[in-house]
Amino acid sequence: MSKPVTRREFLNLLGAAGGSAAALRVGVALGMLPVSTAAATPDLLDLGRANRRVVVLGGGMAGLAAAYELGKHGYDCTVLEASHRCGGRVFTVRHGDLIDEIGNRQYCDFDDEPHMYFNAGAARIPSTHRHLLHYTKELGVELEVFINENKMAWVQDDALMGGKPIRNIDYTTHTKGFMAEIMGKALSSAELDEPFTEQEAETLMGMIRAFGDLDMDDLYTGSFRAGYAKGGFLEHGVQKDIIAFRDLLKTNMGRNLLTANEGDTGPILMQPVGGMDMTIKAFEKRLEGKIRYHAMVRGVRVRNDGVDVEYEQDGVRHTINADYCFNSIPTHLMVGMEHNFPADYVRAMKYVRRGEAYKAAFQAKSRFWEDEDIYGGISWMNNPSQQIWYPTNGIHKPKGVILAAYDYGGGMFHTKMTHEERIEAHLKDGEKIHPNYRNLVEKPITIGWHRMNHMLGCSARWNRSRGGWTHDEEIMYETLQAPVNGRHYFIGDQISVHSAWQESAIMSAHWALADMDKRVRAELA
Amino acid sequence: MRSIVLSVLCLVGFASTSVLAADAREPVNDRYCTTCHGTDGRGNEGVQAPRLAGMEDWYLRHQLENFRAGVRGTHPQDEEGLAMQPMAAKLSDASIDDIVGWVGSWTYVPAEPTLTGDVNAGQRLYQTCATCHGQNGEGNATFNAPALAGQNDWYLVTQLQNFMAGYRGAHPQDARGAQMRTMAKSLGNEQGIINVVAFINTLGRSK
Ligand SMILES: Cc1cc2nc3c(=O)[nH]c(=O)nc-3n(C[C@H](O)[C@H](O)[C@H](O)COP(=O)(O)OP(=O)(O)OC[C@H]3O[C@@H](n4cnc5c(N)ncnc54)[C@H](O)[C@@H]3O)c2cc1C
Ligand code: HEC
Ligand code: HEC
Repeated sequence: MSKPVTRREFLNLLGAAGGSAAALRVGVALGMLPVSTAAATPDLLDLGRANRRVVVLGGGMAGLAAAYELGKHGYDCTVLEASHRCGGRVFTVRHGDLIDEIGNRQYCDFDDEPHMYFNAGAARIPSTHRHLLHYTKELGVELEVFINENKMAWVQDDALMGGKPIRNIDYTTHTKGFMAEIMGKALSSAELDEPFTEQEAETLMGMIRAFGDLDMDDLYTGSFRAGYAKGGFLEHGVQKDIIAFRDLLKTNMGRNLLTANEGDTGPILMQPVGGMDMTIKAFEKRLEGKIRYHAMVRGVRVRNDGVDVEYEQDGVRHTINADYCFNSIPTHLMVGMEHNFPADYVRAMKYVRRGEAYKAAFQAKSRFWEDEDIYGGISWMNNPSQQIWYPTNGIHKPKGVILAAYDYGGGMFHTKMTHEERIEAHLKDGEKIHPNYRNLVEKPITIGWHRMNHMLGCSARWNRSRGGWTHDEEIMYETLQAPVNGRHYFIGDQISVHSAWQESAIMSAHWALADMDKRVRAELA
Repeated sequence: MRSIVLSVLCLVGFASTSVLAADAREPVNDRYCTTCHGTDGRGNEGVQAPRLAGMEDWYLRHQLENFRAGVRGTHPQDEEGLAMQPMAAKLSDASIDDIVGWVGSWTYVPAEPTLTGDVNAGQRLYQTCATCHGQNGEGNATFNAPALAGQNDWYLVTQLQNFMAGYRGAHPQDARGAQMRTMAKSLGNEQGIINVVAFINTLGRSK
């Protein structure tokens, strides 16, 4: 701890930052509503009697979306997928499924029921991801709302309240209350040179009061928003004890809790009924006969007028000579294959690193969280397992599948453990919230994305410093996005600046399709 | 603990046969090496996994056994070794036999040089190495020393750094690695490592 800051000094700090006045001045920029011009699919030329052969490498979201669009416009298209399944990082695990983590292969033993699944990769679709939503609609994939933030779920930190879990709603209500009290004082403080008109100040003060549920004296003295200690329906509710601000500040988790509905998780989130891979399955159905499974690409040779792809399927080697190639194979794996890519392309391929996402799940013998008034949502823990997700689906059924840990990248902590060590770690962490945890759950699965066969990682990481992208990184990105000889395109969320979203994977495929379409139009003109 | 691990191993072993296929489970085998080591084991700088093609049977087997037993790839600072070690941890003897045969069927593609150094200085340094690894870096089974010529240069650099720092070769059961530790130290510093590898790059390799 550094030297303590008095309330007075803190107010001075706020004043010195001059934030409010500055905010008033730049406020005019927010005039326009975003115009929704982006088309949800590229407008490809129908080939008619012309003939073009395309080979798509990798049957993840990007590859399948590309193949599906091409099929609609008369292209002769083949998808080569190395794994036994399509979907890549869209992976729903159900009864009997193989989890092909190298060095830790597992077969899932969940009960064989429709709601007993786990989205081990992608799990949430924001309502702003219109390209993906377009496909779910077109393919008839039924969606349901995904509960992300749940104020009734728990917050646990060994440093907070002696490690006793508290409800999210207690944490956020009190924290916002105290924050509002400080904001209110700052606003009425004579030291500030009154950047607001009286009317503005009144409006702002009203919002601050409402934000924190302040009392008549603009002080925070607790709130019914956190729920009642008892009563509330037939008898008057009794307010819960307040938690001191100093105690709330013992954890850093407020950063996560207060931003649960911001950014990518700000829009309403959705999930396909029955599992995230329902979109993948729908694509597969429409691409029947065009997908080769267990077909591992060995080499890619770009010619002036096409691309030759060599692959191996069940020990037999095959070659496809295509006019165009869309390649979604993770670039760091492509480095080890035979190819004749230009040097600057190869340099970029080698440069990209991958995030180290990790997830684990348990089958719960009963939906014990529902007895704690928790329906869906996330409990936060300040330990390596980080989160417990309660399923939005299957409410009131006897059992459910819960997420036992989620490390969304930036560490190999669990990945480096054995399967048994991982499970024990999650049981220990989760026990701090749910006392009888280890007896309530069974049939664990663990997925270290850094070791998943044919993927070895999650999001592509283009920039290595926290300060953003360097000029060189921008150049490498553009290099890899551009086609080789106008024939070979890298696609996938790796060719986006917002990796680790299905939307980015689809948009990269659409970008490449549109670029190819221009060339095809020119050829046929 | 040991017996639990063994029974899991058997399961994986059977999985490649029809036993589990009857259960409609996706069959598996242990030939997943090329995901990291590249097509025909040519090496992949993108994941720092070296060339396996053209590797001596005895050396390949010994390294797999070392990784499996945790004699190699368990030092907390050995980043690349830690990536490889779990890939071998559950291999059965039968799988290792199968893999050694499989790797032997791959065609060797010359590794492409990626670094530059003082080749002459490297040649002088290499004289010590030649005793065991051969004048042309072709390796010598009598000394348990593998071929160095034709291996990915970035990998040779990591290994020499790791030997020098004790990330490889310091395990009490790694007698062969211990020998190499002394040799790596004789290179003095990073520049010595780069120079000797730059020289090894010139040795070429036909197979
Ligand atoms: C833990 C986690 C959480 C996520 N959460 C979300 C989320 O909530 N919402 C969301 O929208 N997105 C999420 N994502 C991201 C989303 O899953 C990806 O952005 C998207 O699936 C990427 O699709 P892709 O086609 O670009 O790549 P991939 O899915 O990686 O597809 C690449 C394909 O290439 C295949 N392949 C590899 N090598 C070869 C070869 N040699 N030959 C042939 N085929 C090969 C692979 O098997 C794979 O099928 C998450 C991802 C992870 C891992
Ligand atoms: C997850 C990626 C990955 C997979 C899968 C993998 N390896 Fe490796 N392997 C590596 C890395 C990285 C190294 C480099 C270790 C080092 O630098 O010390 C390595 C090193 C090796 C070495 C040491 C080479 C030498 O010259 O000493 C051998 C042998 C090896 N691997 C064999 C295999 C075999 C056989 C398989 C399949 C059963 C396999 N590997 C699967 C990543 C992998
Ligand atoms: C006394 C014999 C001996 C001498 C001399 C020697 N080595 Fe080695 N070297 C070995 C042995 C044995 C191994 C294999 C170690 C093992 O099995 O893990 C080895 C392994 C290596 C490896 C790792 C190869 C791989 O594929 O992982 C490198 C690199 C290497 N030696 C370089 C050198 C260099 C450079 C020199 C000279 C400075 C040198 N060696 C001198 C015996 C020797």
